[in-house]
Amino acid sequence: MTASTPEGKKIFETSRAYMPQSTDSRSTQMVLGAANKLGLIRDTSIQPFAPKEETFEVPLPPDLRNAVIEVNLRYQLRPGNLCSIHKVIRNVSLDQMK
Amino acid sequence: MLICPSSTYRKCTLAISLLFVLIFSGATVRGETPTQASTLDELIAMFDSSSCKDCHEKTYGQWEKSHHARPLIGLDDEMLLSAYLKRIAKLGKPPEQAIKRDFPCFKCHFPQIKYGTDAVAGEIAKAVLRDDKALIRKLNIGCLVCHNEKAVVHGRPEKNVVYGNKDEADHEGPPIKGSPLLKSSLLCGQCHGLGPVLDNPDIPVQCATLYGSYLHAYIPSGGAQTCQDCHMKGHNHYMPPDFNQKEELSARLRESLPMEVQTLAYTFHPDEKTFFPMVVVKTKITSKAGHRIPDG
Repeated sequence: MTASTPEGKKIFETSRAYMPQSTDSRSTQMVLGAANKLGLIRDTSIQPFAPKEETFEVPLPPDLRNAVIEVNLRYQLRPGNLCSIHKVIRNVSLDQMK
Repeated sequence: MLICPSSTYRKCTLAISLLFVLIFSGATVRGETPTQASTLDELIAMFDSSSCKDCHEKTYGQWEKSHHARPLIGLDDEMLLSAYLKRIAKLGKPPEQAIKRDFPCFKCHFPQIKYGTDAVAGEIAKAVLRDDKALIRKLNIGCLVCHNEKAVVHGRPEKNVVYGNKDEADHEGPPIKGSPLLKSSLLCGQCHGLGPVLDNPDIPVQCATLYGSYLHAYIPSGGAQTCQDCHMKGHNHYMPPDFNQKEELSARLRESLPMEVQTLAYTFHPDEKTFFPMVVVKTKITSKAGHRIPDG
């Protein structure tokens, strides 16, 4: 998720990883790949019947009244190999009441 | 050592005899020692299902495009086992001398290997090392893997029988016997697994855990769909997703994982003197899948 100025300057960026996480059960180091993984230690994956909800608070610079929010949900097939699922862009303004 | 007092000798003999009967009858029920193919060509021929194409062209065509048709070829046409064989080499073993035991991945990626000898595993290793994709593509999860080898879990599948949803005595080609497993998630769960695979203590692995997620997250929450309901709609043997088809994958995931985004822009005023502009972004991702995402 990113927040940018209307001119495109990025002012905020954060991300979440939704995935089962494993070590090789020999150390605390997380590993990737079927031949390396052995035992889950944490699971942040998206589960059936269990929506994933997040709240991101983005403080803006004092003089900024407008921002562009971009939320991307992507599937990472392997590091660097991404497949886009959702891309939502919202223009937000402190000068417009809902 | 078992010592029988003379008075109970007869009973003891009977008990031992009975034990033998049970052991041997068990062996008959659970399956005799599989025929061992001594060459890769022989093993490929044992599971060759190309003749199915003559009558089931559409289904065969769907399967040919699926990952099941190329279980040893990964994303973007990558030879899956190349890196793995290099790992074996690091353990001090020449990769071309690999034997069945060195390939825990075969349990699901090439389950037919149980009908082959160690020499067959060696042939596969050599084919991988010389990047012989034409040969490696012949090692697939073809018709006979699901419709024979994996179609029966209570006992062993019968040789030269194809299992389907119901008996079809008039089937041209091999006889078809009905197996309830064909419509069950358990059929798929045999490979799209439960968690760590500890069959081989030398090389424990953990590949797919999808069926475990289905059993322990989806079913307890009231889910009632089977793997086939979502991944084989209309008996489609393409069995999506295809992770190489990005647009198709994206569309499928978009449908399975709807995402809502809400935004609120306002001036935050946490104490008497502090004011600053803030945006609050709320996201909600819902899953329609019958298992965790990601998994396999």
